[in-house]
Amino acid sequence: MKNCLKALRAERKWSQSDLGDSLGVSRQTINAIEASRYDPSLPLAFKIARLFGRTIEDIFDDDAQIQD
Amino acid sequence: MSPELATKRYFTIFIPAICAYAAGSAGVTWAVDNADLSTGLTYSLALVPILAIFFAFWAHWRFANEIDEFLRLIQIKGTLFGIASVMVVASGWGTLEMLADAPRLPVFWLLPIFWVAQSAATAVFSKRESVF
Repeated sequence: MKNCLKALRAERKWSQSDLGDSLGVSRQTINAIEASRYDPSLPLAFKIARLFGRTIEDIFDDDAQIQD
Repeated sequence: MSPELATKRYFTIFIPAICAYAAGSAGVTWAVDNADLSTGLTYSLALVPILAIFFAFWAHWRFANEIDEFLRLIQIKGTLFGIASVMVVASGWGTLEMLADAPRLPVFWLLPIFWVAQSAATAVFSKRESVF
C-alpha cells in the first residue's frame, strides 16, 4: 500500500527512529512501512494518523479498485 | 520495548537454555551408557534437557511478544519455516523408513533441525526486509 509517511516525517524533520519512538515501534518498522514493504495493522495506522493529525485515507492509498 | 532490549532479554534466557539442553542431553546419554541407573532416575535426569527446551521456547514466545508487529511477523515466518522443515524431514523420513527400510532417524534430531531452519529463515527474511 502506497503512503506519504516519508514526506510527512520529512516535513517535521524527524528521523525514522524519532517517529518509531513516538509510535512505540522500531526504526525497521518505519522503514518497511515507508518503502511499502509492510502494511501496518489498523491500530498502528490509527496511531500514525493521529500523530500527524490526518485521517488514515490521507496517509495511506489503497490502489486496489473497488468493483461495484 | 526496544528490539535491542527484547533481544538482550531473549538471549539471556535462550543461550543458557540451549547450553543446558546440549549439556543435559550429552550428560544423560553418557550416564545411561556408563552407569547402572534405575528407570526412575533416568526419567528424572531426562527432565534436565526437557526443561531446557521448555525455557528456550518460552524465551522465544516472550521475545515475539516484546517486539513490534513488523519484527514479530518476521519471527512468525521464520518459525513457520522451521516447523515446515521439521514436518518435511519427519514425514519424509518416516515414509522412507516405512516403504524403503531406511535407517531409523532418532526424533532427538528434530529440535536441532527446527532451530537451524528457523534461525536461517529468520536471518534471510530479516536481510530481505532490510532489518539489518
